[in-house]
Amino acid sequence: MDVATQILISGLTLGAVYAVSTIGLALIFGALNMLNMAQGGLLALGGYIAMWAMQAMGWPAPLAALAAMAAGSLAGGLIFVAAARPMLGGEGFETRIFIATIGIGLMLESVILKLFGPQPQAQSLKLEGGIMLGQVNLPWQNALIFGTALLMLVLVAGMLNRSRLGRAIRATSMNRDAAQLMGVPIRRIYLTILMLSGALAALSGIMISSMSGLLPNMGADPMLKAFIICVVAGLGNVPGAALTAFAIGMLEAVIQYIFGVQYAFAILLCLVIAVLIWRPQGVFGQKEVVRL
Amino acid sequence: MIRSPVRRDVVIALVLFLLMLAVPLLTGTRYVLTQLTVFFIWAVVASQWNLVLGVAGIFSLAQMALFAVGAYATAMLAYYIGLMLPAAMLLAALVTVGVSLVIGFACLRLKGPYVALLTLAIGQVMYLLVVNDTACFTTPASGCLPLFGGARGFSRFGDLGFRDLLGSKWYVGHYYTGLVLLLAAQLFCIAIIHGPLGLAFRGLRDNPGLALARGVSRMRYQLWVFGLSAFFTGLAGAFHAAHFGVVGPTAFAFAMLLFILAMIVVGGLGTTWGPLIGAALLMWADEGLREVSDWREIGIGLVLAGCVILFPKGLAGIRLRFSQGRGQRPDAPPAPPPHTKPV
Amino acid sequence: MSLLEISGLEVAYGVQRVIRGISLTIKEGEFAALVGPNGHGKTTVLRAISGLARARAGEIRLDGKALTRARPDRIVAAGIIHVPQGDLLFPGMSVLDNLRMGAYLPEAARDEARRLDEVFTLLPKLRDRQTQTASTLSGGERRMVGIGRGLMAGGRILMLDEPSLGLAPIVIDQIYELVQALAKSGRTILVVEENAIRIADMADRMHLLDNGAIAWSGTGQEFLSSPEIFATYLGG
Ligand SMILES: Nc1ncnc2c1ncn2[C@@H]1O[C@H](COP(=O)(O)OP(=O)(O)OP(=O)(O)O)[C@@H](O)[C@H]1O
Ligand SMILES: [Mg+2]
Repeated sequence: MDVATQILISGLTLGAVYAVSTIGLALIFGALNMLNMAQGGLLALGGYIAMWAMQAMGWPAPLAALAAMAAGSLAGGLIFVAAARPMLGGEGFETRIFIATIGIGLMLESVILKLFGPQPQAQSLKLEGGIMLGQVNLPWQNALIFGTALLMLVLVAGMLNRSRLGRAIRATSMNRDAAQLMGVPIRRIYLTILMLSGALAALSGIMISSMSGLLPNMGADPMLKAFIICVVAGLGNVPGAALTAFAIGMLEAVIQYIFGVQYAFAILLCLVIAVLIWRPQGVFGQKEVVRL
Repeated sequence: MIRSPVRRDVVIALVLFLLMLAVPLLTGTRYVLTQLTVFFIWAVVASQWNLVLGVAGIFSLAQMALFAVGAYATAMLAYYIGLMLPAAMLLAALVTVGVSLVIGFACLRLKGPYVALLTLAIGQVMYLLVVNDTACFTTPASGCLPLFGGARGFSRFGDLGFRDLLGSKWYVGHYYTGLVLLLAAQLFCIAIIHGPLGLAFRGLRDNPGLALARGVSRMRYQLWVFGLSAFFTGLAGAFHAAHFGVVGPTAFAFAMLLFILAMIVVGGLGTTWGPLIGAALLMWADEGLREVSDWREIGIGLVLAGCVILFPKGLAGIRLRFSQGRGQRPDAPPAPPPHTKPV
Repeated sequence: MSLLEISGLEVAYGVQRVIRGISLTIKEGEFAALVGPNGHGKTTVLRAISGLARARAGEIRLDGKALTRARPDRIVAAGIIHVPQGDLLFPGMSVLDNLRMGAYLPEAARDEARRLDEVFTLLPKLRDRQTQTASTLSGGERRMVGIGRGLMAGGRILMLDEPSLGLAPIVIDQIYELVQALAKSGRTILVVEENAIRIADMADRMHLLDNGAIAWSGTGQEFLSSPEIFATYLGG
């Protein structure tokens, strides 16, 4: 029973962390057909900015989190303006933006490395202590992560389903030409999506670093996981991505418990490869639906 | 057809080959020759990846994984079975072809971005399995050795025999081996790009409907290119192992994948000579920037992003555009016939 | 009073020039038709007008205001409404949400409820299907949503690309009845149609597109009474 609770806690936490960064990726792919390989860099950026805001500037935690999200959304916006917009509609967009964002991610990580050094650091934005649930300790940090993630998911879902912006985003993802014929300024929509996704990545980066510490390349594995979640859900499927994130988080927690931490990622990847061979369009089929 | 592009490219390849043949006679510097040997290796890897990525349009990121398979297979065949290195290298290249076909069967049914992520994941799985394996398979004098060498990898699995043959000048032997390997790989590229496979892919790109109607099966052709190019990729990995005498998990490194991707992108994706131009340029720049090496990563990132954004066709593409401006364009695809839209 | 003026319009895909310098004028309140065989560039003309395809040369003016190479959203805001070939609905949205997307721009959005009512009056079938997902609609229903979505936008001129494509004769008649009713109510309409005979007795003015150029312009009556035009451009 305690083991189950333990697994549940770590699985839900992992899932929450993954969900926050994955929905951003799914939104970007859904609207632009773009795999944002700079996501890893954005995760690290968020983590480091939050730490820096608290350590060097002495800002309170909520303000630090907001600063990190602002930095993330600025970086996301820059990626659109500098890389995606010049090649929009051009030949081989998918390949070129993939390579360009790899380059941008690499630059971002190197700059972080230059500014903050290669040694691992602790995330300052973190709650200490916890509460006992029976025999199991529920750290406040995990509860905070889960609560924040849930709040973010609800906000994003509400935005997508209820707001004018959300309808424009969904329309753009479903049919770019038709959206333009309705008067949707798709470039501004793209910019908004990249900024939103950058902010979500930064938030996810704070969560990740609060559990495993800060490193300039801390985003690499989480980014691969986020992409895997997108792939399993079907690229561009936002609600599927959120659901899959929690499923993968739980699965990872179980695998970690049974086989040990060092094999968790490899086994997860093998499972995903198997899933893809079984269902090439992802578990949730090929309908690209941007909606939560 | 005196000025056919095939003939032109083969002539260029042979002239370059002859020039490079003479290099060891002009300079005896070990440093220059070993640097060039390493260039040959990466040029082969880049040119073969370019076939997959730029010609066949398969968005595979498994290139370094395949390279590593070639290297590991060579080391393991020599270490465990005691095969002579040249034999081990050839066998390893065939093993790489086998592995690539398995990956191809799993991936090629998927759409572009899925292929990229899946191949990336496959490479990562291989890396994690090698590194995290700590169970001893044998225990030589140097200590515990896992089946795939673990985090330390393999060493002392023999050499190509040039030390006995040429003594202290053994690296000249490696230079020529690498040169011949590059020549073979480049001739293979020329054959693919100008041959029936290249034609089929150009057809698929310019007019998918028509090509499919003529029975061009995209996946079958892709599998052919993927498998055949894996032979040279594996051989390059095998030669890398033989040249350095060690094989470790760094062969999978993402940084190396990016470095080679940058070579292709700088030179020109899908062009015949782009990858070689890019490989030469990037290795030269990398060498020149050794003093400011902590800017290396930023430099590669900038080169990757900048080139893709500003010169989508790479340096080879700039030259192409230039000659096109003067009214000739050797590689121009045939103009599509008017009104081919089905009624 | 000419509402839409196109002069010297050229469009190319890659090296291929598809539209080779066409000029035409559409008057306020006119029912104009652009006809021509498959693949001769009718859709491309509409896409160039609404900004989806880039004009290589030429000018497009609405009410004398230049719109050439403006972004599609600006062109829609200026009042050019394009109901595209093949409907291009938003497949994952309900019929209602598709229609509401038509009134995306603020000016239309303020008037959304009234326009929705108007569309439901003109296309009563849609009222019953409001909550159905667009991807599950039949071809005829899709066409109605496509046209309804265009009506929601209002605008100065309504461009319909082959509204009869792929429909049964009976449904085609219904659709053209609707289009005629819209024309009678004073709307400016530009219809692209491959079947020139069908549109000739409805349209005020016909423009015949042949290989990317306007080969003939005239009234529908003139078209019907000169069989040689038909034989030359559409017979083969
Ligand atoms: N995006 C595109 N890229 C390349 N060629 C295109 C593109 N769109 C259209 N074409 C070509 O331009 C020409 C004109 O096409 P268009 O769709 O305008 O014809 P159409 O008159 O509307 O035909 P239909 O009656 O079949 O709808 C065709 O030869 C078509 O193949
Ligand atoms: Mg058409």
